[in-house]
Amino acid sequence: MITLQSSDKDVFEIEQSILIQSGTIKNMVEDDFTFIPLPSVDTETLIKIIEYMKKHADKTDSKEKNIKEFDKDFMKKTLNELFALVFAANYLHISSLLELLYPSIADRIKDKITEAIRQIFSIRCDFTPEEERRIIMDNKWAHEGTEIEGTLD
Amino acid sequence: MGQYSSTHCGGGPKHRHRTPLTNHQYIISNNSDFFSLINSDDDESTVPSVFENRDYTDDLPDECLALIFQCLSSGDRKKCSLVCRRWLLVEGQSRHRLALNAKVEILPHVPAIFSRFDSVTKLALRCDRKSVSLNDEALTLISLRCSSLIRLKLRGCRDVTDVGMAAFARNCKSLKKFSCGSCMFGAKGMNALLDNCSSLEELSVKRLRGINDGFAADPIGPGAAASSLKSICLKELYNGQCFAPLIIGSKNLKTLKLLRCLGDWDRLFETIGSSENHVAEIHLERLQVSDAGLNAISNCPKLEILHLVKTPECTDAGVVAVARKCKLLRKLHIDGWRTNRIGDDGLVAIAENSSNLKELVLIGLNPTSTSLLAIASNCQKLERLALCGSDTIGDPEVSCIATKCMALKKLCIKGCEVTDEGIESFAWGCPNLVKIKVKKCKHVTGDVADWLRARRRSLAVNLDGGEVDIEPVDGSASEGGALEEAAEFQHTATTLPVIRAADIPSTSNVGRSSAAKPWFGLFGGRGLVACTLRRWSNGNGDSSESL
Repeated sequence: MITLQSSDKDVFEIEQSILIQSGTIKNMVEDDFTFIPLPSVDTETLIKIIEYMKKHADKTDSKEKNIKEFDKDFMKKTLNELFALVFAANYLHISSLLELLYPSIADRIKDKITEAIRQIFSIRCDFTPEEERRIIMDNKWAHEGTEIEGTLD
Repeated sequence: MGQYSSTHCGGGPKHRHRTPLTNHQYIISNNSDFFSLINSDDDESTVPSVFENRDYTDDLPDECLALIFQCLSSGDRKKCSLVCRRWLLVEGQSRHRLALNAKVEILPHVPAIFSRFDSVTKLALRCDRKSVSLNDEALTLISLRCSSLIRLKLRGCRDVTDVGMAAFARNCKSLKKFSCGSCMFGAKGMNALLDNCSSLEELSVKRLRGINDGFAADPIGPGAAASSLKSICLKELYNGQCFAPLIIGSKNLKTLKLLRCLGDWDRLFETIGSSENHVAEIHLERLQVSDAGLNAISNCPKLEILHLVKTPECTDAGVVAVARKCKLLRKLHIDGWRTNRIGDDGLVAIAENSSNLKELVLIGLNPTSTSLLAIASNCQKLERLALCGSDTIGDPEVSCIATKCMALKKLCIKGCEVTDEGIESFAWGCPNLVKIKVKKCKHVTGDVADWLRARRRSLAVNLDGGEVDIEPVDGSASEGGALEEAAEFQHTATTLPVIRAADIPSTSNVGRSSAAKPWFGLFGGRGLVACTLRRWSNGNGDSSESL
């Protein structure tokens, strides 16, 4: 059993076999650590991470459909929560979770206009109008749509 | 350089780096601490808690942001590039694929474009027919900026000459894939590419005008790329023969596709077949190749995939030769163009020899139950079968398939004389069948589809009601070999075979003047059409015609 400590100082005891899905934890375990502080992961996020790893620890054939359903539901979170998960998954090196998170966040960007994207992510525009015009002009040289992208292969 | 300067700190996902052009200052720290945010703006003088009312992506490492962008289309990425400076930077640096509108006016923008997109490895430059394309100077400049380019695709870059190609080749030596269509450079440019890009693996050339001067174009190849080339595809070339040294010299060639190229190609295959080769895939379409060529192809022992599309000089004898010696054959497409030169004899030989056959597409052939029974019985690994435009395939033949093809997963029947009764046999036949498609069979009604679906729930049934439409003329054949696309079916032939007078079959639709239009129309000019028709009717390339 390995003990994880969140930034809020809450502790969680989890089986090693589940936690080694995290590359970071795996390395620490190999160096014989049994108590692992995670100062950049808060309790709320850590609970979710553990939930994810528990579900994915047992990857038998019969469970594959269940896992897919779980993943789909797991992504139904606020942007806040998704980003917190990206940070944690990035630090903990859980690549399967990142591969779920990136498209989910990308879905929130798809087909939106620039200003809408800024609002969703609470980003302030730091371009001057002149710079914006310049970028729009440069962008015109790049093709729209995927028909070119697709045939590049 | 441009206004988008960047400072890169090395390091993996644990570190964040920022340009100096931002409103906030950050302490770049190790990921094991919380990021401390010190805001230099007057408005927010307190340390805000992370993720609250501020840029969500602020603290996300660039690599993570880049990976999010990778899930987006080009159009969405453009919107992202306008969000803020950091997004512009990350988006530009994480663009590995770029497609540009290659007009001549792009030249002054090239430095800015490639400062922003500084990691491009796959580039497409495409110019429409109405515009003047980018020129040698622009291509050279681009090549200097993208010296680690792996793939380049040129379309309609008519103002690029041999000089530009040579400069490009010298600057982009790591190129692995090159594809050009409707360009005007010539043998010198092509040779420069082959001499400099010694890692080139795939070459695709369509309508290269610069090699058309006269019949004695300069030979192309082998060049330094000869040993690395794995795939060569030539389409719609007048002087495709000048690539012969390259094709023959590429000793590791695995895939060769020759589509609608003039000239007699038998000799090329004789040369390939006469020495050790690794050719595994050959596509021949509307090409002058005869049984002599097929005989030579039978000397490619590693052949796995063969497409013979509208090659009216190939007969059963040639197919038999290939079947007997190419034991690894697993995909075979034959479009006989209704000339009745390939039929039972060839297919029986396939049945007897090609035990590895997984995919079979027969278009415009008239096999009888003899060969179909043989194939159904002997090709026990057959998974995908398409039968199109055949006068002889009816219910007995289809039932035979249902009864005997144990491994069949996908079946397509198009424009054949089957009725509902034949289709019904799939309620119990072909135990592994996943998908059945029936199109343009006038005696098959929609009822049988429902009937079949009810009896076999896991089977996907795709049926159109049996109306016979005239299919639009499509000059291009599929190359990927998707089963549905391979059925370039001509029920009422609007494209007509261009063949010698003696070979005109009894079907009523063959004519001369309109025959050449769809294909030769692509080359343009009536004079060309007349010359080429004469050429075909003379049998071998009568090279005294100047095109």
